[in-house]
Amino acid sequence: MIIIGGGATGCGIARDLALRGVPHYLVERGDFASGATGACHGLLHSGARYAVRDKEAARECITENAILKTIAKKCVEVTGGLFVRLPGDSKRYRDEFLKSCEATGIETVILSPSKALELVPSLNPAIEEAVRVPDCSIDPFRLCLLNATTSRRLGGNILTHHEVVEIIREKGRCVGIRARERLTGEIKEIRGRIVVNASGAWGDRVARMAGSRVPMALSKGSLVITNHRLTNVVINRLRPPSDGDIIVPNEAVCLAGTTSIPVDSPDNLEIDPSEVDTVTTQAEQMVPAFGTTRLIRAYTGVRPLLKASGTEADGRSISRGFQIIDHKNGMISILGGKLTTYRLMAEKTVDVVMDVLGFKVPCRTAELPLEGQDELSGYPLSKRLSKLDDIVCECELVSRSDVQRAVNAMATPYVGDIQHRTRLGMGPCQGGFCTYRALGIMQEMGRVDPDVSLSILKEFLQRRFKGIRPALWGDQLREEQLIESIYMGILAMGQGHG
Amino acid sequence: MGEHGYDVVIIGGGVAGLTASIYLAGKGFRTALVSRGDPACCLSTGCIDVLGAHEDPMKGIDRLPRNHPYRIAGRRTVIDALEAFLGLMEERGLPYRGSLGRNTGILTPIGTTKTTCLVPITMEASSGFTTTHIHVVSFKGLRDFYPSYITSRLANTSVSVFDAGTSSTLGLATKFDEPSFVDDFCAWLSGLELPPGKIAVPAVLGLKDPKAVLQRIRASTGREIFEIPTLPPSVPGIRLFRALKDAFLARGGHLYWGNAVASVETRSGQVEAITMAGPCRPSRAHARAFILATGSFVGGGLFAQRGSVRETVFDLDVKVPGPRRDWFLNDFFSPGHPVEASGIEVDSSFRPLGCGLKNLFACGSILAHGEIMRHRCGHGLAIATGSAAARACERLLS
Repeated sequence: MIIIGGGATGCGIARDLALRGVPHYLVERGDFASGATGACHGLLHSGARYAVRDKEAARECITENAILKTIAKKCVEVTGGLFVRLPGDSKRYRDEFLKSCEATGIETVILSPSKALELVPSLNPAIEEAVRVPDCSIDPFRLCLLNATTSRRLGGNILTHHEVVEIIREKGRCVGIRARERLTGEIKEIRGRIVVNASGAWGDRVARMAGSRVPMALSKGSLVITNHRLTNVVINRLRPPSDGDIIVPNEAVCLAGTTSIPVDSPDNLEIDPSEVDTVTTQAEQMVPAFGTTRLIRAYTGVRPLLKASGTEADGRSISRGFQIIDHKNGMISILGGKLTTYRLMAEKTVDVVMDVLGFKVPCRTAELPLEGQDELSGYPLSKRLSKLDDIVCECELVSRSDVQRAVNAMATPYVGDIQHRTRLGMGPCQGGFCTYRALGIMQEMGRVDPDVSLSILKEFLQRRFKGIRPALWGDQLREEQLIESIYMGILAMGQGHG
Repeated sequence: MGEHGYDVVIIGGGVAGLTASIYLAGKGFRTALVSRGDPACCLSTGCIDVLGAHEDPMKGIDRLPRNHPYRIAGRRTVIDALEAFLGLMEERGLPYRGSLGRNTGILTPIGTTKTTCLVPITMEASSGFTTTHIHVVSFKGLRDFYPSYITSRLANTSVSVFDAGTSSTLGLATKFDEPSFVDDFCAWLSGLELPPGKIAVPAVLGLKDPKAVLQRIRASTGREIFEIPTLPPSVPGIRLFRALKDAFLARGGHLYWGNAVASVETRSGQVEAITMAGPCRPSRAHARAFILATGSFVGGGLFAQRGSVRETVFDLDVKVPGPRRDWFLNDFFSPGHPVEASGIEVDSSFRPLGCGLKNLFACGSILAHGEIMRHRCGHGLAIATGSAAARACERLLS
């Protein structure tokens, strides 16, 4: 078995296969969660958002919501969620919303404005009412890591930073892949009986390599990250799903979004400053302080939605349900869906795989807790403050030894891998100070070739700026001017070097 | 509330504000300087970039757009101001070296060449670093200096590491202020078998008397040594700031440190007084003239809102290059993003346009059209316009 894609779905499939005893490879072109999985709200849906329009998706959500709260405790923060109705929002929609939640088994509690404000003091005091639902915040990156842990322990092979460049076919059937390591360019050939295409927004591109097609309607969604937490509860707008109507607390920050703009390709996405304005203006209506809070950056991802046949539907009205396509040539594609239902998507996909292979082993992913959660220490402040002398990332209090430990554990030459696993560079300066240091430490440890370190730094700064540029004003602009003066003024990187 | 009267009050304690303050205090005016805290200069390399984008900075001035602050000041004033700066630094024991007619290149912490004009004496030997062997000395655990960036780019280099027991540049600089530490360091250096060539160290050779430290190391090793500027906080930037501040105090100027301007009073086209809020009780300072030198975005003189830019003390009109989407280009490494042209436009006497305040002057990076990153003219522009605004102010006061 070969899985293409290291998002939540691909990692979930790897864990499921491992638990059912099927040997497998997972190939991902970046780090885990580098597509839509890592570019979403990190919202574990209760299903309420879909209840009115897509009852089946809503039912899937509430079931999976309960399962993940049990099996992935260390990835989920049980925040609860509110749907808030502002003056002018349709009361009829609210009635329909409550009815649909009841019909789909989503528990709701209606709160008066004063009760809602007691729960979330930063809410707009003009709200007319709020409905409490079991929404939660979830960490997609950890979720992928933990799913991959089980796969690895049971013999699965996981190759990140490997891009599939060819699907090997013999007599019309997929029998393997060729993948290229991003840095070295080395090609690995892997053979397998079935190739599972879990590449999300890249689904059609992968299917084409096997001579097939999958109908996709790509839709870009952009979000912003605040410098601190403005709410401890997920906040949704009680109206038909639209732009900028969700705010999710996550670790020390809040994430708000999204927009929905059709795109032709999942690569080279740009965020327009107007998208940031849209999201900020909408979020500000629910939580007024949002408008004056420092934004540390924007990010964007592509929803891997299925094209509804024969209709010109926009991104939001397309079903959030998923579909499994057996191309009958040794490739199985899993498309659509959402983070909340990743486990169910994996289960159904592996069921199809088992049918094809003629095995009969039941799925156990819903009962067994994710492995490795005990080792996730989280980020206790006391631990971080104990070695202040050694700090290399001041924003997130990451020490030199944290970096060295991560580098040693992973034996990775990618500075991004270290950032994802230590939170280095995730704070307000967005790696402006510490990436230079992390690369310096990796050079000292012999993990990064000094000859290429400057081009890695340069590439990082360009990528970083892409997310920062659309949301630049206030203190973030002030800090960015300082960062610019460091790289252009002190380090002279703009003078034709690097 | 305390009540104080001056001939002139300068708001902003960076290189521009200090240059203006030193000039006016030196002319015998009762001069006060108000600053919120240590200026952005402390984050800089301490080098004086005059016009890095041209080989000959003085010739380049005439090729700048007419509305560039250098053009408003005029080439003669720029030269006079920079020569006065060189004299002042000699007086303060922190000599600067370089020629106004030709830029020089110094080694950066990543092995690239920074183009600049006047450098502190501790960086003088950096010029022409590619022509000789460079022995880089680093310090164990120093978080902002990784010699491998340099050694991978420059062929003729070697490295050794000294354990000074501290990981910050400021901690190291404090150690180098102790003669016994310098002796230990020299003894260690002498024990190394260094190939012929120069020694390079991150810029940590003391805050008090780096010239003496330099001479001591040179005498004990028989080799040229130079500093490599580091990331903020920067020791050479702090030295520059302190030398200017001391020069101002030596001329009898009055400092209000840690004070923000809370309110301003204007009457019939004049600024009459400002009220300062600081760590102690608030005080009011009235004066015959005021100079605004609060800097750009980093310094806090300008503040960007979602769609506009505000001047933070007098709420002056700010010239902004178009709507927010045009402030930054896509390429991070663009030689200057459009937003850096933002600022206050002034008349030929450095008085802000459109506010009708006859006794208010502005200088430094708060001025519109300076485009400091693009032209690479940071401290040079501060010194030249600080001096030009002070001279215009002097004419008013006399």
